[in-house]
Amino acid sequence: MSIYQGNCLRVDLTGHEVGRGKTPDNGIGARTWNSVTLLRELEPGIDPLGPDNILCIGVGPLVGSKMIATCRFIASAKSPLTGYLGDSGARGFFAAEMRWSGHDQIVFTGASDRWVYLFIDNDRVEIRDASHLVGMDITQTTVALHDELRDPDLQVAAIGPAGENLVRYSIISCNLARAAGRTGMGAVMGSKKLKAIVIHGDRPVKPADPERFEKACAQFHSDLVGHKDFEPRRRYGTTMIMDRLAEMGVLPAFHYRSTQFENLDKVNGIALRRDHIVKEKSCYNCNVHCSRYNYTHYGEGEGPEYEALAAYTVKCGNSDLELAVGVSNAVNRLGIDCITTGEVIAWLMECRHEGVISDADIDGIDLSWGSRDALLRLPELIARREGIGDLLAQGTKRAAETFGPEAQKLTAEVKGLELFSADPRGIKGYALMNAINSRGGDHYRGEPMIELTGDEDRAMRRVGYREAAHRLEETGKGALVNYAEHLGILSDSMTICKNISNCMDLVDFDLAAEAYSGLLGREITHREMWDACSHVSQVERDFNLREGLHTEEDTLPARFLDQPIPDGPSQGTTIDIDRLVSDYYKEKGWDR
Amino acid sequence: MVHCDVNICVGCKTCEVTCSSFHFGAVSPALSRIRVAKLEEIGIDMAVACLSCLEKSCLVCPTDALSVGEKGEIILDAELCNACELCIDACRVGAVGFYDGLPLFCDLCEGAILCVSTCPRGALSYREGEEISLEAFQQSEGGASQRRALYADVQAEPVREGWQNGVRVDS
Repeated sequence: MSIYQGNCLRVDLTGHEVGRGKTPDNGIGARTWNSVTLLRELEPGIDPLGPDNILCIGVGPLVGSKMIATCRFIASAKSPLTGYLGDSGARGFFAAEMRWSGHDQIVFTGASDRWVYLFIDNDRVEIRDASHLVGMDITQTTVALHDELRDPDLQVAAIGPAGENLVRYSIISCNLARAAGRTGMGAVMGSKKLKAIVIHGDRPVKPADPERFEKACAQFHSDLVGHKDFEPRRRYGTTMIMDRLAEMGVLPAFHYRSTQFENLDKVNGIALRRDHIVKEKSCYNCNVHCSRYNYTHYGEGEGPEYEALAAYTVKCGNSDLELAVGVSNAVNRLGIDCITTGEVIAWLMECRHEGVISDADIDGIDLSWGSRDALLRLPELIARREGIGDLLAQGTKRAAETFGPEAQKLTAEVKGLELFSADPRGIKGYALMNAINSRGGDHYRGEPMIELTGDEDRAMRRVGYREAAHRLEETGKGALVNYAEHLGILSDSMTICKNISNCMDLVDFDLAAEAYSGLLGREITHREMWDACSHVSQVERDFNLREGLHTEEDTLPARFLDQPIPDGPSQGTTIDIDRLVSDYYKEKGWDR
Repeated sequence: MVHCDVNICVGCKTCEVTCSSFHFGAVSPALSRIRVAKLEEIGIDMAVACLSCLEKSCLVCPTDALSVGEKGEIILDAELCNACELCIDACRVGAVGFYDGLPLFCDLCEGAILCVSTCPRGALSYREGEEISLEAFQQSEGGASQRRALYADVQAEPVREGWQNGVRVDS
């Protein structure tokens, strides 16, 4: 039986036609619907940047309700970066507006022959000319739409010049800096000549069993404000983890060449807050308020979060914090993924350090560690695809093919998607998550955060292995990652903030089932929720196998397998990724 | 009147959720009598509800459906209202909503003033008897959301000036 089937808006961008239907019936929200839609409807082997790709935007049924932190939308399509399943979520305020407009999923097919934006005002849906917005960055696009439509409350999700120019790791952003960042969903939007989606919605979300729903909301609220990380997250957001990763010895300094960074106290979350943060910012209906607004000589904007901060400081060997914040703002406006962009720059710096390439190969840009020249110029060149930016716009895997085998040995990507800013060798669960998950090298698919807590009771309760509570243990990590993956799918379907649900471990299948039961007014069990997530895990695997995935790709870059961590508290650690992957396959019941 | 400190508001819209839930048992900004203006390109957030202004511009009502209560709140007689929406257009800060054929006025939750007590940052406060002049906003044009944004923009000027002069979140 279907748990929740929502309303689907179908937009054919080739014929400029709009239709209505239902979401797939076997899901619980956003990601579950999107992945099923792609498996059912996408022709295998199609060009991800051609008109045959399908772009799905989904929100979960709890979005726009009283339950806090249910503020995300999920964009899914075949990824132009990996060639496999692509999807990415964004927080902020767009998702709730979409839910209030009465649409749970929007499915874009075909491609327009001219630039357009989609306008939705409840039932009114129009495909409108966007030629005047072409070339504008994400901030300019959003402000222009607010001004010309005379309504600053409209929610806008847009692409920047990078998306227009089909940079393979372009983002879709709402609220200027809330990005669906990974796997190049902005490039898919650009390939369809869809510059923006503008939404206004009025339809209330009303629980069918208010008493039960309120109780679940209240429990969640009380667990959240009582959590030990509530205050640190409010003050520093995800940037608080920079010091924790340094203490563990897994910082990716100088592109994974060291886990130590001498000037850490000049670039960490504390320094950022002290020197450049002017206020805290929130997503819709949250009370953590973990985002922060910066004000610098390079301009202002929201962020950076840990990934952008670490990418433009420790990973690139840069101690100029204000420069890093400026780069983060610029990257957000241009519309490229901060993680992949940071990887591209840091990898180039390491290539130059190793003598694999010279500055002359990169349009004469200074590629020494921490180079201001590289950090300021490369994002612009990439987004505009000018000069060397045209090659770098393809991501590190493709770019390395041009520079040769020595450059390829230095990349840090899985299935074409660049890794996050932590050394996988010293965090085995995260390493496994990067190796096996359905969108490639990525930590956020489902954060196996329990391995950082040392909380053996929790590990036992969640996954049945006390050892799983320790980051350097390999035992129990298959089960841990399988659990985290399920929790990731649940979060991407509800659609709730993963920083809260996964990283703070505040949402489980019991709470989710209670919230759904209260909202929908009928009994939904935690087993049904778990099974819906298991189903989608298999759907995504089937999609990737159909696109040609080989099991040999469920691994990490060789540099992490044959060299131990060189220094710091995790010195000497290597990783037996084959054992970890086999353990995970056993959990899944997969022979491949 | 419910006052929002623009220095403190982070724009989470908990007030909108509280307001619409209390009055309708459902959530949507369209049901809320307090609305958050978000000036994202300059980092400003500010909740705007009825300011009990001295001008009482909304009392343009042609059917006399509106009156002023003991605490300065606007009271709607739904029987008399003909849904002409003149009051909505007249409000200088865009603080009158409209849903299901009726204008929405902040009624102080029948005394509970829940947006103030549930604001996670303490940005909202109730100022009994305080009435401010909105004379400066007489010429406000545009829709309600534009008028809220303009009001927030003016309130934010000293905040932005502080940022320029080096004021940071913990200063």
